Amino acid sequence: MFLQLLINGLIAGAIYALVASGFSLIYSICKFVHFAHGAVIAVAAYILYALFSLLGMNFWLAVILTIILISIFGSVMNLIYKQLRKRKASNVILLIASFALLILIESLILLFFGADVKTIGFIKIAKGLEILGAIITPLQIFIVISSFILFALLFFLMKRTKIGKAMRAVSDNKDVAEIVGISSERIYMWAFIIGSAIAGIGGILIALEQNLEPMMGTHLIIKGFTAAIIGGIGNIPGAILGAFLLGFSENFGIWFLPSGYKDAIAFVILFIFLLFRPQGILGIRKK
Amino acid sequence: MLRIKNLKKHFGGVKALDGCDFEVGQKTITALIGPNGAGKSTVFNLVSGIMKPESGKIVFDNKDITGLRPVKISNLGISRLFQQTKLFSNLTVKENLLLALDNEDTKFWKNLFGLNKITRKKEGKIKETLKLIGLEKFENILTRDLSYGQKRLIELLRTILNPHKFLMLDEPVAGVTPKLREEIAKVLLKLKQQGETILLIEHDMGFTLGIADEVVVMEKGKVIAQGKPDEIKNNPEVLEAYLGE
Repeated sequence: MFLQLLINGLIAGAIYALVASGFSLIYSICKFVHFAHGAVIAVAAYILYALFSLLGMNFWLAVILTIILISIFGSVMNLIYKQLRKRKASNVILLIASFALLILIESLILLFFGADVKTIGFIKIAKGLEILGAIITPLQIFIVISSFILFALLFFLMKRTKIGKAMRAVSDNKDVAEIVGISSERIYMWAFIIGSAIAGIGGILIALEQNLEPMMGTHLIIKGFTAAIIGGIGNIPGAILGAFLLGFSENFGIWFLPSGYKDAIAFVILFIFLLFRPQGILGIRKK
Repeated sequence: MLRIKNLKKHFGGVKALDGCDFEVGQKTITALIGPNGAGKSTVFNLVSGIMKPESGKIVFDNKDITGLRPVKISNLGISRLFQQTKLFSNLTVKENLLLALDNEDTKFWKNLFGLNKITRKKEGKIKETLKLIGLEKFENILTRDLSYGQKRLIELLRTILNPHKFLMLDEPVAGVTPKLREEIAKVLLKLKQQGETILLIEHDMGFTLGIADEVVVMEKGKVIAQGKPDEIKNNPEVLEAYLGE
């Protein structure tokens, strides 16, 4: 039982971390809460569904095309926010705009694909592998491994590449970054492209594991947002840690409580952090 | 090289700049002096694009740069040191300097494919420069862990390394130890010998008049005098407004 819950927590944590890392990347650089990030995940899942299940495209080609299209979709979202920034919109306005975008995009998914759940059906139901009495499917192993590879790549990008350093500089002080010649608008665009690509990969992996439904993005962004707060808002490694803590807590929680309390457990942890450690696991308390 | 024409900037009812006019010639060190609240830092904020003026013109290298974004102004060749240290605190000394050295490689593909070649060459230059000021062992330290004086020196270095034609230094020796003040004075004199064009704000009169070719005196958002240091020293209007004599 313990090992099964540990594996389930790991899978849930990996999925939440894919959502939280992209969300946190965008927040740390652009300094506003991009709730429509949830819609990006849902759109990616539906693009894959349309390309692979409806149009019959080769699966891997559909995956590559989905990642490219969702990155473009992310940059289009940034262009919308850019227009608001040009009009000196406050962060509250941007937050409201992100909610509006989330609802609009989910409504469009509902309009085009309908309310019934969809399945990708690429991987036929496979017998799970048994590890010390716990069951894990090959797809779940793939999800966990791919997310860890993605986190390592993101870490490399942020720490070792010039664009990553420029992103950290803009995150630290946008005006000073501009003074040393870094275009904050260009960095915002890259944050949206990279953050959306991560969300897109998350959407693809989730679409292979779960059913698709138009409101899936809202559910995921709530978990991603919770993970980002727990980890320390704007701190990417913190968001990943927070996501795994959330995944483990939810799954170990149902050892004692009915499974319907999963979401309640997530919010109880969120409140505990907000009350006793508002800066999150890796965040620095502002003086 | 830089022409400021009838520049105006108001903060509510306060006239920070009220028709400011002056020019900075090529290959000169021009000191911008005046009592607190004269509008010197506002001039810097307007020239570097941090703020936009209500009216007036800023011409740099025969180009109107009034109201341009800071990144565009930086890319035209204006590099600025802030009055209060503004390093990227979550980046190391090396990373801070690397970002200033060439901002063009934030272009993703250039960065991705030329990663090692670009960084190795530049890291060498940074190591060399840090050695010159005796801070080579701080290369991989986060700048938030440096002392105030070290931060000031690194920020000055960042301003100088940022590709430029024109340097704007806002109180480079404010709050530093006498030893460091001497070091910074040496750096500025070396820059002067190399023919750099510098606009400088500094309250330390001995320091300022010692290195400046030209002095611009401001009071209440206006230029009240401009001339050689010796002329300024003996200008009665300046003595009254600035020195209170």
